[in-house]
Amino acid sequence: MIISVASGKGGTGKTTVAVALARSINYCQFIDYDVEAPNASLFLKPDIKYIKKVTIRQPYFLTNTDKSFKRCADFCHYNAVASIGDEVVFFSELCHGCGGCILVGPEGAVREKDVEIGEISKGFCPPGINFLMGNLKPGNMRTPTVQNELEKNIEYDNHVIIDCPPGTSCSMVMSVKNSDFCILVTEPTPFGLNDLMISVDVLKNLKIPFGVIVNRFGIGNDEVLNYCKNNNIKIIAKIPNDLNIAKYYSKGLSLIDFDPIWKNKFNDIISEIEKEVLKK
Amino acid sequence: MKVCLSSTGTTLDSNVDPRFGRCAYFIIYDTSTDTFEYYANESRDAMGGAGIQAAQKVIEKGAEAVISGNIGPNSFKVLQSAPGGPVKIYSGVSGTIRSAIAQLKNNELKPVTSSSVQSHYGMGSGMGRS
Repeated sequence: MIISVASGKGGTGKTTVAVALARSINYCQFIDYDVEAPNASLFLKPDIKYIKKVTIRQPYFLTNTDKSFKRCADFCHYNAVASIGDEVVFFSELCHGCGGCILVGPEGAVREKDVEIGEISKGFCPPGINFLMGNLKPGNMRTPTVQNELEKNIEYDNHVIIDCPPGTSCSMVMSVKNSDFCILVTEPTPFGLNDLMISVDVLKNLKIPFGVIVNRFGIGNDEVLNYCKNNNIKIIAKIPNDLNIAKYYSKGLSLIDFDPIWKNKFNDIISEIEKEVLKK
Repeated sequence: MKVCLSSTGTTLDSNVDPRFGRCAYFIIYDTSTDTFEYYANESRDAMGGAGIQAAQKVIEKGAEAVISGNIGPNSFKVLQSAPGGPVKIYSGVSGTIRSAIAQLKNNELKPVTSSSVQSHYGMGSGMGRS
């Protein structure tokens, strides 16, 4: 069973919830899909045993041959190739590696090489959490390519907890698309509500069942609760707004270190999700 | 000398556009004949690399200098690679096209040696993490 933990708004407590879930069941695979800013390792402290580079193919140009590369520049939708006279200025960080410039450019003068864009790491956290994370090189745009590499390593016969990136763009869709259930973490503020509504639309489109955890409960207003009630969205849990939880977080400790009662609560949450998923 | 100015409109009374790659129009002004032509900037709606595309066109038009409000690093890099030698770049210029030309002729503008803004400057606010 794959449970993803997502949110629209950033900083609502995805990692807090995902880590607490993993630490509650203790035997699972945990994947940090936020390859642009992975941080779950700070809390789970895995022993990293395996690192694999993620590469893409990018072009290089054999210039000084009096051949024009203008067709490459015209073709490139992302303007990664500038053609000036018979020279080329190439912007690696804009290149999506489609290979189009090789097809339309002067024959034999555009070649390909492997370029590293990030890496994936595997580790272990006792007693039984198989940890997996991706890391995109700063400045790189190829988030889903690194996430694709994570996807190849999903342990489908294990319990899988996925910590998603914020937002509702490609990288979030990549993270939730394989899940049996998605937990949306939000906060009871106008920003939290706005982004929650967008996330709900995405999950409905993807036909992924979901529920909501309201974090920092006690701040803001009742609109998130009203929205969930009016739209028959289940509120799975409310995590109170408590400075001590933030203090534990800042030390790299989990919600269940703060109060072990959350271990039982999250185990109950997982049992209920499991029941709902199996019912389908 | 042919000078290219990023412009908000098509006349000498238009303003210098603060953006280079995503400006509305380019005005190519010939200081030896005091004539000019203009063209709409087709790169302004590019998904990415607008400055790169715009700079290529500016070089193709034979401009030896560029006047704009700001120049990003990618446009800068392309303008440096012009076959006839680096294009002179005057950034931080505002006011009308007419006054910018007058300032240039009076040697009141100083060419810059690095870009003035980060990539994506002209894309507007709210791009955030995507």
